[in-house]
Amino acid sequence: MTTSVAQPSSAPFTLSIFLKRFGLLLVYALLALGLTLLSDRFLTGSNQINIVRQATISGIVAIGMTLVILTAGIDLSVGSILALSAVVAADLVKQGVPALLGFLIAIAIGAVMGMINGVMITRGKIPPFIATLGMLTVGRGLTLMYTQGKPFTGLPESFRFIGISSIGPVPMPIVVAGLLFIVMTLLLSRTRFGEYVYLIGDNPVAARLAGINVNRMIVYVYMISGMCAALAGIILVARLDSAQPVIGVGYEFNAIAAVVVGGTSFSGGEGTLLGTLFGTLLIETLGNGLNLLNVSPLWEQVVKGTVIALALLFYNAINRSTK
Amino acid sequence: MNKKTLQRFLSLVRANSSLVILLLVALPISLLSPDFLTGNNLLTVALQTSMIAIAAIGMTFTLITGGVDLSVGSVAALTGALAAGLATKSGLGTYPAILVALSAAALVGAFNGALIAWGRIPPFVATLASMAAARGLTLVYTEGRPISGLDKLFTFWSSDFHGIPIPLFVLIFVAIVAYIILHRSIFGNYVFAVGGNEETSRLAGISPIKIKFGVYIISALCAGLTGLLLTARLWSAQPNSGTGLELDAIASSVLGGASLMGGAGSVTGAIIGTFIIGVLTNGLNLLEVPSYNQQVIKGMMFIIAVLLDYLLKSRLKKS
Repeated sequence: MTTSVAQPSSAPFTLSIFLKRFGLLLVYALLALGLTLLSDRFLTGSNQINIVRQATISGIVAIGMTLVILTAGIDLSVGSILALSAVVAADLVKQGVPALLGFLIAIAIGAVMGMINGVMITRGKIPPFIATLGMLTVGRGLTLMYTQGKPFTGLPESFRFIGISSIGPVPMPIVVAGLLFIVMTLLLSRTRFGEYVYLIGDNPVAARLAGINVNRMIVYVYMISGMCAALAGIILVARLDSAQPVIGVGYEFNAIAAVVVGGTSFSGGEGTLLGTLFGTLLIETLGNGLNLLNVSPLWEQVVKGTVIALALLFYNAINRSTK
Repeated sequence: MNKKTLQRFLSLVRANSSLVILLLVALPISLLSPDFLTGNNLLTVALQTSMIAIAAIGMTFTLITGGVDLSVGSVAALTGALAAGLATKSGLGTYPAILVALSAAALVGAFNGALIAWGRIPPFVATLASMAAARGLTLVYTEGRPISGLDKLFTFWSSDFHGIPIPLFVLIFVAIVAYIILHRSIFGNYVFAVGGNEETSRLAGISPIKIKFGVYIISALCAGLTGLLLTARLWSAQPNSGTGLELDAIASSVLGGASLMGGAGSVTGAIIGTFIIGVLTNGLNLLEVPSYNQQVIKGMMFIIAVLLDYLLKSRLKKS
């Protein structure tokens, strides 16, 4: 009842149920197979690490977005939250604040902005789309005001290590994103919090009747989304060694695309972080493949749009056949 | 007696809450800046606003059905680029080129409609996909470079007639046609019916599929017109023009009383909503507010206006 994804184990094993569970994995495998055949550089270790590293930024944002969409909400402000928190952290650390404290401040900024989103939605009764659209504008404006349009560069090593160092062969961003993924997966699947998130998305009235403080839960979810965006911002700035006021523009759409390609339902209550992980990797692998095959980067968006549409058509076809 | 006039006044406010908000925005600006209420300045506002208003009118149709069209910015860019490219490179002639470009816009709209009505993909995601695809096609077609060299027949549409900007005439024309379609035709009734309650409308014999198809084509055509006017005004088609237009158009429609839940919205509301944003932007410029701070103020005003609109409607309903 809590996770509508989990099929009862006694259900007859049909092709459509198989596709529903493993369809995305299948598509990913086919894509990987095709690219391996077409380019001998695709399946090299360094290229695979490259893909995953590229995917960490949008992946971290998408983790928070998954929670939001599970509650049938949407967070358009992630790109602006990412920018503001990263820019403030970069500036403070440049001025001599210890990097770790800078990171914590950035994440606190993300949490506060997420909290404001949540309060607007729950107390102000503003639809999530509108509330976070307002935050998108305000957050970007605050970023521009703070930086006066100029980038911060020349960050100390203590800040940059989270973006460029590595543990053994594994780059730091992948370690951080991996840890976050595990923690959030446990949170969603093993705790009461996760149970509530699914229930609120599935049936908010029932959730309220069951005694869940729906409003507070929704505020928490938007805070998590804000904190994820802030973390992604820190890693991005650490890697680029530059905090541009326009970083993160359009990231909301990338994250939403990854979440829905990963099979999370837009009407809430259905979806997993594992799906989001594969959604992110699929989109990133596509981009990487086009690159390796020397396709003009101008085509990338066309392909991306087509893949999103096809993925959604695919899910709907399967969902209809399982019902 | 006194209570009655008060109630009548309140219900008038309720029915015209977006107009009230426009006045609330315009009043302090006209007091603070003597330049605001001059003919020249108001024409500038009208020019800047009319192009976005056309897209907002189209957006309102989709919002009324409970949908949304995120692809309008990309469709505007694609239409402008195709028209400019065909007009300057193919020797097709300016007006045939514009017609072909508008047909392409309608095609994107039909594609959106197909994904939403037949594919049952949520409008947000379907139009997100076509937003990416149409922007990509624009980049591919223009090879990432602006297309210039437009002739007089094209740039005429950004000129003025005795001082009144031509885009304003286009807006008035579009508004009248859209008003008739939305508020005076059976199709319009059905649009509201589908947005109010899709199941009921289906039982009443309306085909939601056809209606949804229709509104996304209308939205794309409006976006295409906006793109053509933007192109005419810049004397060139920019591959990244119209970026963010979807958010402006949605904000305008919502300020004009459209609901994201569907079932509510109007052509005049969309225009008033666009003018709220246009007047605010103009006022902040006149008051020499730094552009970075403007965004913060605009974002906050947007939220406050939505809250105010909600309060005006719900509180006054109770009284």
